[in-house]
Amino acid sequence: MSTLQEKIDSIHFAPDNSWQHVIISEQNICKDCQEKPCLTICPTAVFLWNYAESVPIKVLYKQCVECGACRLACPHNNIEFLYPHGGYGVMYTEEFNLFSE
Amino acid sequence: MLNKRYIVKKPYKLKQADHVLQEADTRPAGKFDVIIVGAGPAGSTAAYFMAQQGLHVLLLERGPYPGAKSCGGASIIAEHTHKLFPNFWDELQWERMVTDQSFWWMTKDSVLSTRFQSKRLSAAPYNRFTIKRVHLYKWLAQKAIAAGAILENSHHVSELLFNGNQAIGVKTSEPQNKYYLADIIVLADGANSLLAEKANLIQRVSPLNMSLYVKETIVLPSVTIEERFNLSPGEGAIIGLYGYPTAGINGTASIQTFKDSISLNVGMSVASFAQSGNKPYELLERLKRHPYIQPLLMDGDVKEYGSALIPEGGYHAIPKLVHPGVMLIGDAASLVNGVHGINLAMWSGYFSAEAAFAAKIARDFSEKKLHLYQTLLNESFVMQDLKANADVAQMQINIPYLFDLYTRMANETAFQIAKVYTMPKLAKRKFILQKLISMQPIGKLIKDGWRVLRVMIR
Repeated sequence: MSTLQEKIDSIHFAPDNSWQHVIISEQNICKDCQEKPCLTICPTAVFLWNYAESVPIKVLYKQCVECGACRLACPHNNIEFLYPHGGYGVMYTEEFNLFSE
Repeated sequence: MLNKRYIVKKPYKLKQADHVLQEADTRPAGKFDVIIVGAGPAGSTAAYFMAQQGLHVLLLERGPYPGAKSCGGASIIAEHTHKLFPNFWDELQWERMVTDQSFWWMTKDSVLSTRFQSKRLSAAPYNRFTIKRVHLYKWLAQKAIAAGAILENSHHVSELLFNGNQAIGVKTSEPQNKYYLADIIVLADGANSLLAEKANLIQRVSPLNMSLYVKETIVLPSVTIEERFNLSPGEGAIIGLYGYPTAGINGTASIQTFKDSISLNVGMSVASFAQSGNKPYELLERLKRHPYIQPLLMDGDVKEYGSALIPEGGYHAIPKLVHPGVMLIGDAASLVNGVHGINLAMWSGYFSAEAAFAAKIARDFSEKKLHLYQTLLNESFVMQDLKANADVAQMQINIPYLFDLYTRMANETAFQIAKVYTMPKLAKRKFILQKLISMQPIGKLIKDGWRVLRVMIR
């Protein structure tokens, strides 16, 4: 058994501090969105909201595993998903140890 | 503890210093015969065969190494891979030879299974191998490099360049910000081909046709795996799981065995995830708690979690694959048939190489000339098989209760048969029949049976 945080911790990331590759285009559209599938569909819970109407949905792009499901799931086509710049983002390293080198 | 956590989360060191936003240098950084975007099974196979034919090939990969963006393992079909890369099993590091193919039809407390184990499956030229994706991707990329292709890692292609409607090159994003020119662009950028969509070559994929899978690699000693799955050393099992794992919705899960780890994955269409509100990682945890899954994973450590999109729309979801100067291959072309993805991707790479070579000789890079790729694909088993299964995806949409209800009915029947009652046999049979009809009226049962049969025998 593992929690979501443990799952995220099992993955390596090279986060890009200067560019966010997944954004919500228009937060106002989200206010009228009843379903908000982005909050449930993301495998690493990148979209975070505290259910307070005045607060916008946060996008924790640094823990994104780049599957792109959010873009297709958004009923209002309101999520702009691009891949991170070259060399950044998720890095599946399972088979070798990066830190031994 | 905190210290250890810091080390684990420490980002991979990149060669470039903190990059600054710079003006793109519009002078082309190079001119090639072919630029292939994405060093996955399709892209690297295409690069290998193109370079072998003497084409000047540039292979661009957005990850720091091929395989960085795909998690876990998969299985490859030996015969197909052997045709493209003879005796590949001597070169590629494989994990286990699959001699056990099982299907489990699960309810919350039961499993009805079919299992086929055979030594015939481990005889040369073999049937299936499980592999780790990173090994396969690296091996294929190295083969392409050895054949003369140029691989550039950490190069993310942000857009295609056109002259009229003829593709003439690509632009990479930060930190390189460079233009590369080529006669042919091959898009092997995976299930989410944002490049093709941005260039208006394909339409946005429907969430009904794209499936989201989450996966966990769980480490166990190889002896333990062989004991738990009743395998001889070096042999492996693949188990397809239906019913319970996707919580009442059509979808699949599976267990694959590797040398010293097993992977468990579960997934369904993006539309189903969005509608049901199921969280992918919670589905995975729910499956891990199943009374017949839990003992298989006991004492295992979760090594890596990951997720991926798989284009499961089948034949009808395949977009237009050839455009002026552009070919779409692999997942970008939606070439996935049931459990076959990697093999189809490699074949599409091979066929695109044939077309690129013919175009190069003729010095004609028009859509008409490159259409050879589509023709070869159509004539091969790839499209024939996809066509044969063309209506499976739609059937799953039309009969949303297909996996769940019939799995429960099958398990109910098995339970009633297994359970001993103090009633005459004839009465018991009547009782079982009534039980089943109470779950699904006989008219609907026959109708669904006919619908499934029609899809299968087409």
